Amino acid sequence: MGSFGYLFRHTAKNRIKKALKRPTTYIFGILIVFYLVMMFSGFGTIFEEFGGNSPQHLAQLLSVLTILLLPSNVISYSKRKGLLFKPADVHLMFPAPVNPKMILLYVGIKNLLINVILALAVAVFGVLYFHVPLLQVLVYVVVFVAAENILEGSMIVLCYGNERLSERFFKILPVIMYVLMGILALVGIVVFCREASLGAIGMYVTHPVVQMVPVVGWNIALIQLIFVGPTTVNLVCTLLFVAVTLVLFVLACRAKCVGEYFEDAAKFADDYAELKKARNRGEMVNGFRMGKKQKFKEATIEYKGSYAKAIFYRQLLEYKKNRFFIFGFFTLICLAVGIGIAVAAAMTDVGQNETMRMFLIPGVMAYLIFIFSGYTTKWSKELENPYTYLIPDNVLRKIWYATKMEHIRSLIDGLLMAVPGAVILGLSIWQTILIVLFYVCLQANKLYYFMLADLLVGRSLGNTGRSIVKVFLQMIAIGISVSAAAVAGVFGGLTVGFAVMIAATFIVTLAGAALAAGSFEKMEVND
Amino acid sequence: MLEIQNLTKKYGKHLAVDHVSFTVPDGQVGILLGPNGAGKSTIIKSIAGLLRYEGGVGICRMNSRDREAKKIFAYVPELPAMYDALTVREHIEYVRRAYHSPITDQEVEELLKRFELHDKQNKLGNELSKGMMQKVSICCALAIKPKVILLDEPMVGLDPAAIKELKLVVQELQNGGVTILISTHMLEMVKDLWDVMFVMEKGRIIGSYTRADARDTDIEELFFQVTGGHQEAGQPEGSHPEAGQPESSHQEAGHPESRRQEVPAAGESEKAGEQ
Repeated sequence: MGSFGYLFRHTAKNRIKKALKRPTTYIFGILIVFYLVMMFSGFGTIFEEFGGNSPQHLAQLLSVLTILLLPSNVISYSKRKGLLFKPADVHLMFPAPVNPKMILLYVGIKNLLINVILALAVAVFGVLYFHVPLLQVLVYVVVFVAAENILEGSMIVLCYGNERLSERFFKILPVIMYVLMGILALVGIVVFCREASLGAIGMYVTHPVVQMVPVVGWNIALIQLIFVGPTTVNLVCTLLFVAVTLVLFVLACRAKCVGEYFEDAAKFADDYAELKKARNRGEMVNGFRMGKKQKFKEATIEYKGSYAKAIFYRQLLEYKKNRFFIFGFFTLICLAVGIGIAVAAAMTDVGQNETMRMFLIPGVMAYLIFIFSGYTTKWSKELENPYTYLIPDNVLRKIWYATKMEHIRSLIDGLLMAVPGAVILGLSIWQTILIVLFYVCLQANKLYYFMLADLLVGRSLGNTGRSIVKVFLQMIAIGISVSAAAVAGVFGGLTVGFAVMIAATFIVTLAGAALAAGSFEKMEVND
Repeated sequence: MLEIQNLTKKYGKHLAVDHVSFTVPDGQVGILLGPNGAGKSTIIKSIAGLLRYEGGVGICRMNSRDREAKKIFAYVPELPAMYDALTVREHIEYVRRAYHSPITDQEVEELLKRFELHDKQNKLGNELSKGMMQKVSICCALAIKPKVILLDEPMVGLDPAAIKELKLVVQELQNGGVTILISTHMLEMVKDLWDVMFVMEKGRIIGSYTRADARDTDIEELFFQVTGGHQEAGQPEGSHPEAGQPESSHQEAGHPESRRQEVPAAGESEKAGEQ
């Protein structure tokens, strides 16, 4: 126990010390305080306006949270994916002479601490906004923290550490949880069909069938008992909840555990470390595919050029081996956005206004580029590859061929987003082409200015600082384009202004690319 | 003493280790050799308790999963991993507490100085290079004051000074009666250290030798003879008569009658004389 306490205390102390040295911590701190103050002042008004500020409403809110959180927790534990092991745990904790069950509880401490924080937040909210008597709130905090942590801790130990239960049991457990969730969903559908209003939530969470659903429903019964008062159903179900918690606790204490879970945990730790690395690099990684090796098709390519051009053909070969070529999740988003714009245009009178007709699609595109932080693909890996720097060619050709595929991808994404809406809005072919070009230019602009920011600041300002510099540089570039467009628009009209904006964006993007090409000069700038 | 008895490990349908048995006697240095994919890392991880396996692993006549066995067992993995937010010194302190080790502050200081970590003891885990992590990993293992120590490719990433120091440490541990098992590809680095050697191929032990058996035969020559990788020796790859044969019975290296093959040797070696 002493070693876990030491590890926890010193990890927390060093993290805090390190964070206090970073200016961004203070900026975020101010923003979080501001957000909390706004939230506190705003919530009161919202709850009062909707007439939802009684203890019953708090019980409803907590019941819904239980339905959302508890089944997913059980499923992730039964699949042995709920605990985040680190490679350092595998190296320094697993071989140590400590109880393997305690290792599980230590690694799960974050989940358990969340329960404590949640209970305290409920206490504050309950007293301030839901007018719950202090004693009632205290009862909830004590019961919730104790029961929830014992239940969750027992589940962690039983799912990971029980070496007597078969693998078959752990395959069946998620299925059981899905069935229970199905029952909850079914009751929800029936209740909402009868009463399609906010009041249906209250009817739903107090519904006897919901409260009788094992573990999840019994937990809801406990919440109802504390905040609303006793009924036969919630009393019986609360007793069942307490009983199941105690039984699981006894089983967890008695379970034989010598550490056979270490193998799965070690694999998880490696896979999770890889996932984190990829996410830190800015790659779009599907967490559900964690630990599964990507399968590649057979493919061939004919290199139609030498030197830097080889980079493009090598990327093309890699993409041809991919199951979906250059397309991915973002392609689907673009298609969905395109269809969404078309449906919105068909159902509203947005097409009647000439300015809106012209700028609806570019506006949505710009928003999409803004909210999706630049995800890195194969081009960014070129900067990690020493051969990129050793190829005897000039940096401008290198940057062009390393990023050429990104422009092709932008072109396809742009077409997917622009064409459906353009057809419904009745835009001309030239206008549609201009919109697609606008998207390609904007994406290229983002790519090269982000690369330029990396080149200029490296890692000296940390990830957040670098992101701020990236956005700042891109804002300057876009500012120049918009100013040029405004001037041209005054003299030549909307289409001319739009065309000038694209031309100006193209020029500033080219300038950005020329400056960012320095990234391909020396590898050390990316270290 | 480190005893491996009929250790078998499967990954799905793939048999990674097939009924492997061997023993490293008290105070001796065992070397686990083999080409890539032979199953060395699987054996090492199984001994360290990181894998499920069939068979038995004994540490000083205790089950390796027992807490008492773990207290005297240290492990240096091939790829060390540090806690991002713990300093070098805090890693050692954590290990001291986790193992309830009797190591004193003075001894920790000496250990850090020995591996040139003294001036870096306040560096955080995520600020360390791979080589430094390896040094910290070795220091953590030594801080346990183990009776059995497992070193998986311990020299990878170390600078020449650290390699020299590690060799000295291994000799000191050996003199202190500690049982050591080293898995490595760097034959040159361990040629002066070993007492018993186990050569693996395709999940099986295909040869085991004691220093006395080998006499003056070079470790590299021994390795290539048994794995069939030494083309000049006139044996095509994989042609060793016993390569791929299952290990049928428990072997204790150090007992001439238990070794799998005779090694052509010339003269007596120093080590053989010691034994």
